[in-house]
Amino acid sequence: MQDPLVIAEREFDSRLLVGTGKYDSFETMRDAVLASRCELVTVAVRRIDLDAGGEDITSFLPENTLLLPNTSGAETAEEAIRIARLARAGGLPDWIKLEVIPDARYLLPDPVETLKAAAALVEDGFTVLPYVLPDPVLAAKLEEVGCATVMPLASPIGSGRGLKLRDSIRIVIEQANVPVVVDAGLGSPSHAAEAMEMGADAVLVNTAIARARDPVAMAHAFRLAVEAGREAFLAGVMGEGDAEASSPPVGVIPGA
Amino acid sequence: MSAICIVNGKDHSLEAGETVERLLARLGLEGGYALVERNGEPVERSKYREVELRDGDRIIVARPVAGG
Repeated sequence: MQDPLVIAEREFDSRLLVGTGKYDSFETMRDAVLASRCELVTVAVRRIDLDAGGEDITSFLPENTLLLPNTSGAETAEEAIRIARLARAGGLPDWIKLEVIPDARYLLPDPVETLKAAAALVEDGFTVLPYVLPDPVLAAKLEEVGCATVMPLASPIGSGRGLKLRDSIRIVIEQANVPVVVDAGLGSPSHAAEAMEMGADAVLVNTAIARARDPVAMAHAFRLAVEAGREAFLAGVMGEGDAEASSPPVGVIPGA
Repeated sequence: MSAICIVNGKDHSLEAGETVERLLARLGLEGGYALVERNGEPVERSKYREVELRDGDRIIVARPVAGG
């Protein structure tokens, strides 16, 4: 592994994290996960509808993927902690994508409750990956309480609008000492590539893959974009400037 | 009258000495991930076999589902 993503001392080859929501079928989801070559996939935790039954999503996920349960549905720190503890007790990994979202319209996370829950969960032995607005001060505080990453949103969940909060994310990346995973709002591979070129350590994508006409092909496209963006970041992207000819100004054929 | 616990909001008649493991089997949820909370406290998977349910217990049975 030449350039691994390291989260909580665990190495990952892939810098693309994938969500499992919104697919038409578990089969398509599985094929998209395989095409993405991701090694970290998110799942939600919900009560089982005892009348409806239904299939177990985990049996569709490749064995080499680490399941990352999220705390979706939590509106307070207390609820998020409850979900995380339930997931871990039942045998899911002690890695948790912490999201505390009291706002159903814009789906924006509550920074105060997120920080509170993060501190408690780290204390309780969890590896915490918090989903947040790209606020550098909050990111530093999350890092201080022991979070393994920070996961700033690019734009609202499921919106596909791309890096609307680009400038703030840039500051978070510049100041972070833990991996920065840009999560939510990335609508196309070019958005993912841009985040990676900016120096994000990874991106998390769900809707843009699941809702593509061909999710499996789109998963592959995101993989390529993330790899390209990472390579570009490491290669050093040129700065913007004024027009400057790429061909020599001397010896021009129609000249004197 | 047999003992009853509430599982995901519904009444469930308990067998004598019914454990979490037996409950899951009766619900057809053996194998895979079934996450169990009893009276607000998570039950460790390693304890499913020994934790016995009591009359009036409030049980939540959950599992991982598709999500982002």
